[in-house]
Amino acid sequence: MHPFNYQRATSPAQAVAAVAPAPSAAFVAGGTSQLDLMKEEVLRPSLLVDVAALPLKTIGALAGGLQLGAGVSNTAAAMHPEVLTRYPVVSEALLAGASTQIRNMASLGGNPLQRTRCPYFRDPAQACNKREPGTGCAALKGINKVHAIFGASAACVATHPSDLAVALAVLDAQVQVVGPAGSRTIAFPDLHRLPGDTPQQDTTLAHGELITSIDLPAFTGRSHYLKVRERASYAFALVSCAVALDMDGKKIKRARVALGGVAHKPWRVPAAEAMLAGKKPSEKLFRAAAEVAFADAKPLEHNAYKIPMGRNLLLRALLETSGLQPLQGPAGTAFAASVGGMGGE
Amino acid sequence: MPDESRPPFQVGAHVPNCLLPNGSYLHDLRGQPVILAFAPDEWNPAQAHQSSIFAHLLHAFDGIAVSDDTMAAWYSLDCQGPVAAQFNITDQRTLLLLDEQGILRWQTAIGPGQEPRAGQILAALEALRPIAPVAAREVPITSGGLSRRTFLAATLATAALLLLAGAAEAAATVTPPKHPASMPATPAVATIPITLTINGETHRLEVEPRVALLDALRENLHLTGTKKGCDHGQCGACTVHLDGQSALSCLTLAVMSEGRQITTIEGLAKGATLHPMQAAFVKHDAFQCGYCTPGQIMAATALVQDKQHRSAAEIREAMSGNLCRCAAYPNIIAAIQETQTA
Ligand SMILES: Cc1cc2nc3c(=O)[nH]c(=O)nc-3n(C[C@H](O)[C@H](O)[C@H](O)COP(=O)(O)OP(=O)(O)OC[C@H]3O[C@@H](n4cnc5c(N)ncnc54)[C@H](O)[C@@H]3O)c2cc1C
Ligand code: FES
Ligand code: FES
Repeated sequence: MHPFNYQRATSPAQAVAAVAPAPSAAFVAGGTSQLDLMKEEVLRPSLLVDVAALPLKTIGALAGGLQLGAGVSNTAAAMHPEVLTRYPVVSEALLAGASTQIRNMASLGGNPLQRTRCPYFRDPAQACNKREPGTGCAALKGINKVHAIFGASAACVATHPSDLAVALAVLDAQVQVVGPAGSRTIAFPDLHRLPGDTPQQDTTLAHGELITSIDLPAFTGRSHYLKVRERASYAFALVSCAVALDMDGKKIKRARVALGGVAHKPWRVPAAEAMLAGKKPSEKLFRAAAEVAFADAKPLEHNAYKIPMGRNLLLRALLETSGLQPLQGPAGTAFAASVGGMGGE
Repeated sequence: MPDESRPPFQVGAHVPNCLLPNGSYLHDLRGQPVILAFAPDEWNPAQAHQSSIFAHLLHAFDGIAVSDDTMAAWYSLDCQGPVAAQFNITDQRTLLLLDEQGILRWQTAIGPGQEPRAGQILAALEALRPIAPVAAREVPITSGGLSRRTFLAATLATAALLLLAGAAEAAATVTPPKHPASMPATPAVATIPITLTINGETHRLEVEPRVALLDALRENLHLTGTKKGCDHGQCGACTVHLDGQSALSCLTLAVMSEGRQITTIEGLAKGATLHPMQAAFVKHDAFQCGYCTPGQIMAATALVQDKQHRSAAEIREAMSGNLCRCAAYPNIIAAIQETQTA
């Protein structure tokens, strides 16, 4: 690890003031992404400003919804009774991610900002425009099994690894930030960006902007997260899927669907959502929606499997969310969220 | 004009390997050019007025845009007498430039009261150009080889500051170069005094910010029960409790752990009496080589605190962050199940 200086932030404003003027300064919360990448020398900040002790660790009511402090741990958020019962998609996404230890350490602010798990990004000996702009993309012609099938560019085919982000993308969540230019609110789908020519930029946050909370608006519908991994637990998603359905009697009033593991950001599928709105849930409808959702997927050499896998996953997620098929485990748990998980027995 | 009458080592020769105070070897830095700077104790970079040679060295890079992502870094290493002796250096300030193969390419000794000239250092760096292809990685190349910018950035990235006489403890930030914005140099970092509460006892130590809690436990405090497996959050061998919750000490900095209650495997037994989870692991033969066991036990003890009764499947899911190469999983689950019912 390259040497760096370390400071503990005393307030959100002080944290911003410490990071904003120094281009190579960074925040650290749980450290599970930041320190991992610093050990690989993928990241080499000159200053780490520790925001873990800031008073951003509460979950509170907010205009019929919930305000989740950026410093709340993944574990605390997942196990919070209001999150479990009203936004099970959030608990499921969190609990199907990483391990107990990492969830205890990880924060809600840090999770959506974790960097890609693209192996070429993580290896400083490889060409990677995200790590070192202008060097090329080794994944494009390399082993691109875990890479994007939507929204990629010639400069970058990386995917975003966060499960939580996929869940937040279907809840109309809002991100509160404070920064050098004051505070602002970002609609969650606008937090992450597509790679384009500037894949080094994962998000629309300016340098030095600190997430203080993630706000969930009121939601009374059904929500669910489903994830396929290479092993039963403690692995990133190959493909995942978050669904939120607002119901009107027996009909779907509004559907929101996001796919994970397929793009540089949580991938909403508006065409499929439009197809579901106003309809009665049925397997036929869901199959058609799953077909539409992947219609314009552009696979690379090694990741075409994500298309049938994703279609089947989305179909199953819609069936389970609407109640046409039972969940594989209690709502809000890793068992509900895992395809081929630890269940059984 | 620096005094070059007493070459500390022959140009063109392979320099000897040496153990750097951070525990790594000089030869491990091969693949990139390295600057070695030796100084007698009165030349302490912690004191700005004594660090003019480094100010000069860094000034040599003025006007060369070093971008954010090729940050210049150099280590302030307190290299004791033996290394200096290996380099035949006794009392003079000396700069050595090694190429990426560890061959000495340029050197200068600087007499008392003298300063090296920036131009001279630059010329030496230029001379290294053709023999430093590895430093380029994939960065843009100008005609005829490496761009100077690329090369200099790479050089600085591995420049090591070795202090001859051991005066450099707790070196603070060196006077920054003139354009901090164009050179976000990783600072010469001071060690930080911290107090850690481990197994109820207070420990005072001085660490660099980059020291992981895992390494502080093992190397500084000799609490070697906590194991290093992957060092990247992927195996659970380093699991400890932070404020009663399981956490990975490999992805936690020691400086981040100040003020928290740290519990390690050494803190579980009460004298000769094993913790019930330890006893259950013994009883159920829940290990083979034992390497993962401290981490397994720390994760398991944190898990059962809430006194919930978990199914085997739930235990497996909750314990999935602890890998066991020997696949003692069924016995580990059995041990945990027993402590839940006890
Ligand atoms: C082995 C392993 C397996 C994992 N598996 C999964 C998985 O299956 N699913 C999943 O989703 N994740 C997984 N993760 C990733 C993990 O969940 C994230 O690293 C974690 O959530 C990041 O949170 P943190 O608090 O540790 O962030 P940090 O590592 O501290 O920070 C991450 C980034 O966010 C920035 N940051 C932190 N807090 C703020 C803030 N408040 N405002 C602005 N910027 C901020 C930091 O500067 C940094 O750039 C895994 C990680 C490991 C090591
Ligand atoms: S050593 Fe920390 S998780 Fe492997
Ligand atoms: S007992 Fe050998 S790794 Fe677990």
